[in-house]
Amino acid sequence: MKGEPSASAPRRAGRLRRGWRRLWQRPPALAGVVVVLLFTGMALAAPWLAPADPNQGNWGNLRKAPSWEHPFGTDDLGRDALSRVIWGARISMRAGVLSILLAIVVGVPAGLISGYYRGALDLLLMRLTDAWLSFPFLILAIGLVTILGPSLTNVTVAIGLGATPTYVRLTRGLVLATREEDYVHGARAIGAGDLRIMGRHVLPNITSSILVQATVSIPAAIIAEAILSFLGLGVQPPDPSWGTMLNTAQQFLEQAPWMAFWPGLAIFVLALSFNLAGDGLRDALDPRDY
Amino acid sequence: MVEFLVQRAFISAVTLCVISVVVFTGVRLIPGDPARVLAGVDADEAGLEEIREKYGLKDPIPLQYLRWVSLALRGDLGESIRTRESVTRIVGLKLPITIQLACYSLLVALTIAIPAGIFAAVRRNTVWDYLASGVSLCGVSIPNFWLGIMLILLFSVRLGWLPASGYVSPTQDPVANTVRMLMPSVVLGAALAAVLMRQTRNSMIEVMSADYIRTAYSKGLSTPTVVLRHAIRNGLIPVVTIVGLQMGALIGGAVVTEQIFVVPGFGRLIVEAVFTRDYPLVQGVVLITASAYVGINLLVDVSYSFLNPRIRVRGAAGEG
Repeated sequence: MKGEPSASAPRRAGRLRRGWRRLWQRPPALAGVVVVLLFTGMALAAPWLAPADPNQGNWGNLRKAPSWEHPFGTDDLGRDALSRVIWGARISMRAGVLSILLAIVVGVPAGLISGYYRGALDLLLMRLTDAWLSFPFLILAIGLVTILGPSLTNVTVAIGLGATPTYVRLTRGLVLATREEDYVHGARAIGAGDLRIMGRHVLPNITSSILVQATVSIPAAIIAEAILSFLGLGVQPPDPSWGTMLNTAQQFLEQAPWMAFWPGLAIFVLALSFNLAGDGLRDALDPRDY
Repeated sequence: MVEFLVQRAFISAVTLCVISVVVFTGVRLIPGDPARVLAGVDADEAGLEEIREKYGLKDPIPLQYLRWVSLALRGDLGESIRTRESVTRIVGLKLPITIQLACYSLLVALTIAIPAGIFAAVRRNTVWDYLASGVSLCGVSIPNFWLGIMLILLFSVRLGWLPASGYVSPTQDPVANTVRMLMPSVVLGAALAAVLMRQTRNSMIEVMSADYIRTAYSKGLSTPTVVLRHAIRNGLIPVVTIVGLQMGALIGGAVVTEQIFVVPGFGRLIVEAVFTRDYPLVQGVVLITASAYVGINLLVDVSYSFLNPRIRVRGAAGEG
């Protein structure tokens, strides 16, 4: 089997190239990609970008309105809100990306096996995902955090496990369609094993759909982390999560409305950018348009 | 048809069984003595013994599960650690508030989404279509708790038009109830409106390109007549499913919306139960939520099959 050519590889490469070209022709999607990259850069460079220590309070600077010194104002403990928003990007991106990565790592192989082998295992997995999907996402995440305890890691795990059945179902559906393609039959006819067929022929052809789903899931995961932290079940003070910042801000709406504005705007802009990028990516990779 | 209904009911029953196992196991996974978990940290030895006796905690796990399920089926979901009230009774008091909020939110969502979705589809690729799509994308991306805070800031703090929080029972004062439910309903309905608007637009675009619509136009009918008399019925079928599928998101959204607007409903109950480590209450609430969700999905499946016979046939012949 050594050197067996992957029949789908050139077609896939061509589609990806065309997909990228089409993405560049869609200004809203491109803007989404650029903003996501900016937030990623901000998260990575937080220690150098933030003008102040995000956890360093200043009793002489409590709830100061936005000024040149503090462009986003200060919070109830006199901490610089801009620095906390910048550091918050790190927490949000970490929770959003890692939780969906966990869902992919668990869900895609499960869906792949389920769709490829079918049978009793498939039936069992489908009933399990049905049951898992019966829990409203947030209720499930709250339930899991109750068991695991509140922390960023546990919130990430809870959101990831909550998102897993979507990937199991998506992958299974895609595999069911792909396993009947001629090139898969061809590979089987020349003696390719199951692992090789799954790894070299099926998986590469479903990757783009999983990627598109990820761009839709990540903003949902970012919002979920913010909600759980807002409820006090996620990141614990004094760490600067956008959700915990909004929780605190709610108590000072009359005295310091700016405290509630910036963290929420950051979540909104990041989620919108991911959704714009995801929409563009889906259109760009849609094979019906070729 | 009967075969389809039996098949769907069977799948729902299996799902409920798995859910009950997950919920039962969840509480057993909490570190420490299960009796202590169920009775609370303040319980004395006699209280612990009573809990052990009631749930048979000394018995093998499968037997414990069967006993728990049989109690749950009879409506006994245990007692709240905090108030010593029956979980079923507490849920019975809180659930109507959340159902009212969910109904108002659904009304808000449908009122915005369906006309806007239809308009965007009819005026496809015009500025109105782009505007509707943009608003829909913003609606999906905006965190509803932030939207809630911003609305409080504008309508309560700045303008003083609406009360920021609190709840009045509709039987006590229907007008005050509606006024106080206005902002929570808009907040909870916004994301649903965004999803439904998108679905309505896509589905209407598909229907509007069908042959029978072209025939209706060729008879000389005006666009409003074609839309209202011919397209809308088929165009809205998928929207019914999306409404059903979004009920879970609505229940989840109620948790945070009720927290912001201090509405004493089911969602706020969940958060309070988690914070007070009231595990029997958490267990009961999660079980009821998931079971209700399965029930709603079953109803949606059945109603969808009534609306669209092709699904019925495919569903009966299809796969699990």
